[in-house]
Amino acid sequence: MSHPSPENCATCPAHNVANLVKLGVDMKNWDYVVALAGNPNTGKSTVFNALTGLRQHTGNWPGKTVARAEGGFSTGENRYKLVDLPGTYSLLSSSLDEEIARNFILFGKPDVTVIVVDATRLERNLNLVLQVLEITDRVVVCLNLMDEAKRKGLQIDDRRLARDLGVPVVPTSARYGEGLDELNRAISEVAKGEVVCKPKRIGGLPSVLKKSVQTLAKVIEKVYPDLDNAPWVALRLLDGDQTIAEAIGTGELAELQETESTASGELTAPAESEFGPKIIFETAHQLRWSVGKDFHLQLMEAIYTEAARLADRAVTRDGQKPRFDWDRTIDRLVTSRVFGFPLMLLMLTVVFWITIAGANVPSAMLATLLIDNFHPVLKSAAAAINMPWWLDGLLIDGIYLATAWVVSVMLPPMAIFFPLFTLLEDFGYLPRVAFNLDGMFRRVGGHGKQALTMTMGFGCNAAAIVSTRIIDSPRERLIAIITNNFALCNGRWPTQILIASIFLGGLAPAYLSGLISALAVVGVAVLGVILTFATSWLLSRTVLRGEVSTFNLELPPYRPPRILQTIYTSIIDRTLIILWRAVIFAIPAGAVIWLVSNIEIGGISLATYVIDFLQPFGWLLGLSGLILLAYIVAIPANEIVIPTILMLTVMATGASGGAGDGVMFELDSQSATAELLVAGGWTLLMAVNLMLFSLVHNPCSTTIYTIWKETRSAKWTTVAALLPVFMGFIICFTVAQVWRIVAG
Amino acid sequence: MTNPTVALLAALALFAGLVVFFWPDRGLFWRLRRAFRANERVLTEDALKHLFDCEYTGKLANLQSLSGTLSISGNRAAEVLGQLESQELIAPDNGGYKLTAEGRGYALRVIRTHRIWERHLSDETGYEPSLWHQEAELREHTMTESETEDLAARMGHPVYDPHGDPIPTVDGDIRPPEGRPLSQMPVGEIGEIVHIEDEPDAIYAQIVAAGLHPGMRVRVNEVSPQRVRFEADAEEHILAPVLAANLSVIPLPNEVEMVGPFERLSSLDIGDRAKVIAISPNLRPRERRRMFDLGLLPGTEVQAEIRSPSGDPTGYRIRGAVIALRNDQADQIQIERSA
Repeated sequence: MSHPSPENCATCPAHNVANLVKLGVDMKNWDYVVALAGNPNTGKSTVFNALTGLRQHTGNWPGKTVARAEGGFSTGENRYKLVDLPGTYSLLSSSLDEEIARNFILFGKPDVTVIVVDATRLERNLNLVLQVLEITDRVVVCLNLMDEAKRKGLQIDDRRLARDLGVPVVPTSARYGEGLDELNRAISEVAKGEVVCKPKRIGGLPSVLKKSVQTLAKVIEKVYPDLDNAPWVALRLLDGDQTIAEAIGTGELAELQETESTASGELTAPAESEFGPKIIFETAHQLRWSVGKDFHLQLMEAIYTEAARLADRAVTRDGQKPRFDWDRTIDRLVTSRVFGFPLMLLMLTVVFWITIAGANVPSAMLATLLIDNFHPVLKSAAAAINMPWWLDGLLIDGIYLATAWVVSVMLPPMAIFFPLFTLLEDFGYLPRVAFNLDGMFRRVGGHGKQALTMTMGFGCNAAAIVSTRIIDSPRERLIAIITNNFALCNGRWPTQILIASIFLGGLAPAYLSGLISALAVVGVAVLGVILTFATSWLLSRTVLRGEVSTFNLELPPYRPPRILQTIYTSIIDRTLIILWRAVIFAIPAGAVIWLVSNIEIGGISLATYVIDFLQPFGWLLGLSGLILLAYIVAIPANEIVIPTILMLTVMATGASGGAGDGVMFELDSQSATAELLVAGGWTLLMAVNLMLFSLVHNPCSTTIYTIWKETRSAKWTTVAALLPVFMGFIICFTVAQVWRIVAG
Repeated sequence: MTNPTVALLAALALFAGLVVFFWPDRGLFWRLRRAFRANERVLTEDALKHLFDCEYTGKLANLQSLSGTLSISGNRAAEVLGQLESQELIAPDNGGYKLTAEGRGYALRVIRTHRIWERHLSDETGYEPSLWHQEAELREHTMTESETEDLAARMGHPVYDPHGDPIPTVDGDIRPPEGRPLSQMPVGEIGEIVHIEDEPDAIYAQIVAAGLHPGMRVRVNEVSPQRVRFEADAEEHILAPVLAANLSVIPLPNEVEMVGPFERLSSLDIGDRAKVIAISPNLRPRERRRMFDLGLLPGTEVQAEIRSPSGDPTGYRIRGAVIALRNDQADQIQIERSA
């Protein structure tokens, strides 16, 4: 291992000006270059801002679209240029971020590289430190987030860590400005060479690998006698690193040798021809046949193991928890064979009950306010300013009404359901539900957390799609996304309840009708769960089998839920964002509903044409052309299906009621609704199939858009949108034909 | 309106038709597509691969061996050979055929694509091992050279495929075969599995199902015409000699000891503590990296903390956090119990 040799001027800047300019750094007026590296989410940018104040600018890396920030600061008489490198977990893969960070440290040779590490996750962060230490000696470790570590009961022996790593370690809490003076001092000491680092090198490689690295490093040192990180270059070559191989090929590596002549601008050319770069490649190539089988992972394992060992030495966890603490007692209970499942069902029932019972009142209030009161006010206002009838209809009857409907049906249940759900999550109970149910989901190729996203889907599918982010395995996440639509969302519950009460409840004697209709609705929801499992199974064995699948599930400690914060974030993050999307999509739907009912061709409305056209197909499915049209125009929101059906029925049958063509409405009494539907030619079969189709049809456009946002894949968005429609067609068709055969 | 019975039957027929046509892999559509693609180019390339295979393993390639391997008639095989000869890709030799330099280069490029694609399937996708070979068989004929090289560069220029076969370099360099069939190992000697033959599929699937993989240390305890009995990673396996012949093993120096016996993480009861000895290379690369990320590394202390009502998964305390792992994952983590 070559340390900076004494004849090298220890106080001279070490950086390579030519390469720095190539890397886009303007070095005029600066004495030293400091690179800032670190894992994502370690407070790197806080440290950057704290060091530079407001003297910074941002831009892109030359030729790349990765953002870069640059700034400056001075201590004493020296001026330092600070370059923020992309946040990375390691330097071993070939991702763009890692390549940029690695190339800057290797070719730019910053005078100091500050590595910001998260003190609460030391073992994961030290990986990067060890890798950087292989490239450069001049490192300062900034042990950030010390405040959080203290809160979590972690004690970190920074002196021991500094001794183990062989470089200065400065504990900081950059958020509160703590430790920054010490960091400044350490940077200047390393930059000026007042502190000479003796960094820890990665050990623990299996002996075959170690031998190969040494062999290759010797060859490299022969060709480039003054290169100070030959073992690391050897490692990279054995790992098949293209950038390093190219750097050797183009002679860029030769420029990095630490010699007097480099400083004066002359390069030591690679020595005699038999020691040219070619021999490096040949040696590397031969060695790779013997080490190449599992090199990358063995190397990773060695680095991670070393990092974990160093972290274990430096970190003490405050008093190990008593043997029978609260966490364990709760865990034993909620995951027990006897109580686990009943407790889960009880919790869910309570959550749903609170949601449904609690949402009724505000929903009705909103409907009264927005639809019964404010709509007439708008109408008379429009009349007062002599708005043309078509504009008034389009804006107020179409767009406003659809939006009002969506808001009044959607907002209250979401505003109750999501905070409750988030509270359970925050308390730590939901991961245990995933843990309990993982066995069932594993059998169909899913992840236990799919139980959570599915439950969330009972509230709102779009919000549930966003929540699939908690599943960090690509295949299982796609399964959860595509099957989420089978969870009956709160936009569809009212449809189910209404139709079940009118048509199925009516079949039974009066005292049983409530029970029968409730059972029918629950039956539909359970069918949705069954379809979720069946479809998951099918997907994981066909189209999704090529997607990567891994599993792990963290069971965090229980903690008292932060009620206010939870309510705030779940209302802002989940409810309002989704509501906003739904409103955006309801606007065109309202316009289309009004337009199809009011544009007339030859005295017959567009809607009638479409209904007649769809009628044969609708009949085959045991539905009707009218229902299909309602589902087409109501793609943006399931909430407006029933109002649209009622409006279209009035229009098509000429029955009394309603507020005119294109004006959606609902009737106050169930019997009035029943009368209207029967007058519209509804049968029991249509009612049953409507309930089935309401469960199994395409997701609403808000959900489709959310799927696109989350997957960024046209293919999976299409699958998620079309698969349920086709399944719905098949189910309704089959039920209709069998029904007709049996009924004769 | 339509008679419901007729409608139902018509729909059933349509559905059945679609299933027959598009059933994954075995559907008529896929078969037709494969047959359509099994054109001259595919035959040529498969024939060259066969000749290279014979050369690599020191066997003689002739008309019979070619028609057998490619499942084509003798006449067709003769046609293919004639064509290859006229293209100067092969030349008659010693009653059979051998590759010309040009033919060898072509064969190696096809093999390179095949093996790099297998590596890709193993490291970067979720396809199960039994599908790697057949997928690569299709890919090798359609990928362009630059696609292959881009993929290779992205994966850090792998040198071996997941079965332990060397991947030829761009310049056509390939390491000579190593090891010998497990069935020919002397009883009592210790060796390492370096290669698992991936053809035929059925045999390969059985070997994979037994949990055997390249890199495992083995010792043969008994060889008879009926069976080969051996230890691998401290577990005893019994294979028919036909199966054992598909495993290649290199002898290890005498001083090497058998590793193990290991216990597996999955064998811990709730409350038991243990120290991790190794993460099995049998775990797919992504999963292994996930274990590293979780801090599950050689030397890490773990404790089984909580078990799901169905018995799988189990939560383990690892570096202060409780992480649930499934049993098939915990099976791949070798441990030593602590008192």
